[in-house]
Amino acid sequence: MERAVPHAVPLGQMEVFQALQRLHMTIFSQSVSPCGKFLAAGNNYGQIAIFSLSAALSSEAKEESKKPVVTFQAHDGPVYSMVSTDRHLLSAGDGEVKAWLWAEILKKGCKELWRRQPPYRTSLEVPEINALLLVPKENSLILAGGDCQLHTMDLETGAFTVSKPWSWGGQGWMGVGAFFLDLLLTAALLLQRALRGHTDYIHCLALRERSPEVLSGGEDGAVRLWDLRTAKEVQTIEVYKHEECSRPHNGRWIGCLATDSDWMVCGGGPALTLWHLRSSTPTTIFPMRAPQKHVTFYQDLILSAGQGRCVNQWQLSGELKAQVPGSSPGLLSLSLNQQPAAPECKVLTAAGNSCRVDVFTNLGYRAFSLSF
Amino acid sequence: MSSESSKKRKPKVIRSDGAPAEGKRNRSDTEQEGKYYSEEAEVDLRDPGRDYELYKYTCQELQRLMAEIQDLKSRGGKDVAVEIEDRRIQSCVHFMTLKKLNRLAHIRLKKGRDQTHEAKQKVDAYHLQLQNLLYEVMHLQKEITKCLEFKSKHEEIDLVSLEEFYKEAPPDISKAEVTMGDPHQQTLARLDWELEQRKRLAEKYRECLSNKEKILKEIEVKKEYLSSLQPRLNSIMQASLPVQEYLFMPFDQAHKQYETARHLPPPLYVLFVQATAYGQACDKTLSVAIEGSVDEAKALFKPPEDSQDDESDSDAEEEQTTKRRRPTLGVQLDDKRKEMLKRHPLSVMLDLKCKDDSVLHLTFYYLMNLNIMTVKAKVTTATELITPISAGDLLSPDSVLSCLYPGDHGKKTPNPANQYQFDKVGILTLRDYVLDLGHPYLWVQKLGGLHFPKEQPQHTVIADHSLSASHMETTMKLLKTRVQSRLALHKQFASLEHGIVPVTNDCQCLFPAKVVSRLVKWVTIAHEDYMELHFTKDIVEAGLAEDTNLYYMALVERGTAKLQAAVVLNPGYSSIPPIFQLCLNWKGEKTNSNDDNIRAMESEVNVCYKELCGPRPSHQLLTNQLQRLCVLLDVYLETDSHDDSVEGPKEFPQEKMCLRLFRGPSRMKPFKYNHPQGFFSHR
Repeated sequence: MERAVPHAVPLGQMEVFQALQRLHMTIFSQSVSPCGKFLAAGNNYGQIAIFSLSAALSSEAKEESKKPVVTFQAHDGPVYSMVSTDRHLLSAGDGEVKAWLWAEILKKGCKELWRRQPPYRTSLEVPEINALLLVPKENSLILAGGDCQLHTMDLETGAFTVSKPWSWGGQGWMGVGAFFLDLLLTAALLLQRALRGHTDYIHCLALRERSPEVLSGGEDGAVRLWDLRTAKEVQTIEVYKHEECSRPHNGRWIGCLATDSDWMVCGGGPALTLWHLRSSTPTTIFPMRAPQKHVTFYQDLILSAGQGRCVNQWQLSGELKAQVPGSSPGLLSLSLNQQPAAPECKVLTAAGNSCRVDVFTNLGYRAFSLSF
Repeated sequence: MSSESSKKRKPKVIRSDGAPAEGKRNRSDTEQEGKYYSEEAEVDLRDPGRDYELYKYTCQELQRLMAEIQDLKSRGGKDVAVEIEDRRIQSCVHFMTLKKLNRLAHIRLKKGRDQTHEAKQKVDAYHLQLQNLLYEVMHLQKEITKCLEFKSKHEEIDLVSLEEFYKEAPPDISKAEVTMGDPHQQTLARLDWELEQRKRLAEKYRECLSNKEKILKEIEVKKEYLSSLQPRLNSIMQASLPVQEYLFMPFDQAHKQYETARHLPPPLYVLFVQATAYGQACDKTLSVAIEGSVDEAKALFKPPEDSQDDESDSDAEEEQTTKRRRPTLGVQLDDKRKEMLKRHPLSVMLDLKCKDDSVLHLTFYYLMNLNIMTVKAKVTTATELITPISAGDLLSPDSVLSCLYPGDHGKKTPNPANQYQFDKVGILTLRDYVLDLGHPYLWVQKLGGLHFPKEQPQHTVIADHSLSASHMETTMKLLKTRVQSRLALHKQFASLEHGIVPVTNDCQCLFPAKVVSRLVKWVTIAHEDYMELHFTKDIVEAGLAEDTNLYYMALVERGTAKLQAAVVLNPGYSSIPPIFQLCLNWKGEKTNSNDDNIRAMESEVNVCYKELCGPRPSHQLLTNQLQRLCVLLDVYLETDSHDDSVEGPKEFPQEKMCLRLFRGPSRMKPFKYNHPQGFFSHR
């Protein structure tokens, strides 16, 4: 086996350390800015890098335009999840969610706007936040992760609310005072304030757009469906118990899920499977051996990625339409830039076990990689 | 017209007729001369105009007579004959007259010719005279210009200025009243003054010479005295040696060294001076000595100019020979190469003693023709070392000092000018000669004060003291840490080969008490083999696998699980950490590309190495990393999720205390060890 040996450059202590850091970097999360021209990527060192998609995609793109516009230290631990509202970038990882103003980030003044920590039970270890989910109708954010619960946070007040009847959530009168009152009553209200049910930590969340219901998938192998109005669990699918999709040697965990209201697709330890939610039956099992870490609906296709270099494209019937190889040995997140504000930046980006974010200008072709 | 033509024809006819008659008459002429008659004199007396009239008249008469005769003849008759006779006589007379006239004309013509000739000769003579005169004029003009151009010798003499002359010269020479108005006299006077002055200076010079002679003689006498003093002083010195030794004051030895140091080439001299100074001021463990033959060095320096000439000559010769003769080139080139790579006969030895009594011997050489310095290193230890197989390269002179500064492999010549010299004699790189000559590390050049800029290939390089001084301290410290870390590695390798990972007491807290995984193999592997391994691709692509690094393969085992670790040991260890790449054989082959936790384990030892360094100067890093690897393997195996479908107990029951088994989207295992409590958590 012949390998191209790069030209030997004298390496000092710092350079070696930086090279090793880049080599062992994992990019956990991505988020596209509201203007659609920038992409934020968070890695395992707690750094967030902002890439300019418009510059990298322009015809006169140079090598530098594939480097971050700005990189800043956001968290102490890994940045597991990020979402963007129309003004803010929200990032979460080691138990805290932090907000950054997109406008300020791009001006390179990276100061956090606020930070919140969901009320955790005391523990030796601070539980991580694996998933963030925006509920635009209620202007709230759902956080889930290491403590096996779903926390709902009102974005207007910054308070972690009990997801009670519909009339509560959207009301503006619940201000900061109420937040402090909540803190006083923490112990008493703890049971009510979060959606509990998972027996192990939660990997992923998905929102059913039509009804205010949230899906969550966790390490315990269950996909649970929550009604946000009643804060009750309405449905549980224990995927590993279905023989056709269980794969005991990979474990039970559900690493990814996505939904388009009637249908749900989930994967992880068990095989990637398409479910009909109302009847909770698996309809299609996708023949993919490697555990999948991210899945999403795109038009009439399902895109999935996980262990292995490729982004997989599936027909709903279970046929593998295409496998597009990327540059990372394993992928953890896919991001489809569908912001109407920037149609020229409509790309698919994929990131995972490397310091590179692969950019697919159309679904069948990896154009280039952005790099930390 | 017709009459004229007939006129002309007639004389011709007459002449042809009369030619014999003339011959006769010439005879008669000579007879007539005797009778003093000269027809030529007669010519002068006669008028040519009248002769012409006479000629015309005679011709008319003849015509008339001819016509009458013809007339008479045509009439015929007896009496006619008399008349014709009469007429004939008349015409004969006329013929006589014509002849006479003809002669006269001839004489006249001759005379005219003579006159013309005479006149021409006269004109020629005048012309010649004119030419002579013109030439004379030209010559004279030339002489005049020559005279005008004449330059006197005195103009070349740099005379004192006019004012100075009048100020300084005595009045009997300057004669101001005469010379003021007359520049010629003035110049003469100035020349006189110049002569006077020169005479005086010559006198002075002679005096000085004699003075010098005198002083030289004095010096000679004093020298003789001093040289007679030398043996006496020597004997005193000799006598004082025991006292010096007794008092630990090696003045004499130092003095001798300084004496030899004078013969060192400039870079070695700079190194010697700076190293001695540094040794005296900062570091008592550093000792400096000079080795080699002083006589050879002296011989080298005696005719410095001649040798240079020889060199350039031989260069020229060499060029010629390379052009002319190909077959004998090999032998010649060999000689040239040897000549080019020649070392200065003197070398500087530095002995650097480390804390544990091991000594680093450095011998610095100077390659005269390449103008670079090289070093050979040797490490000796107080106690005899048992050399483990895998430690072969650690202390070898070839690699012990490699990459003391980043990228300084010591295989290439630091002097850009050398490449041109090499091209001449067909040396590709210095690499092939490094074992013989020693390594030309960059820091060695800097210690010798040689600085080679990268951009200008033909820069003249001068040994510089300040450059050497600024690098001395850091380099000495680096050298010491290098030797110590190598010796530490050397010791560690010995136990690693026996499957024991030595963990010192102060590093004990980094690991749990019970570690089940064991190191079973520790071998050195070749660079090429490392490059061929399938799980080291990332390191190779990141440019971290240079051929100057050392490569090892470790095998850690627990039960049926075998963990291979390919290790890159940078020569700059321990400031640059060793890099591990893992491949686990357990339930299939797992590497960083197909298992996130293997990747995390690599990152634990490679990126988070700082917590494994132990007490400074962190010689324990490698062993700690290996021990950490064993712990990581324990955690990896024990926390592996149990496969429900497989019958029987788990192969590795969970013994480690873990808060959680998995965390985060990539399902990391709890690899971080928390010391006093003894549990494992996620990083």
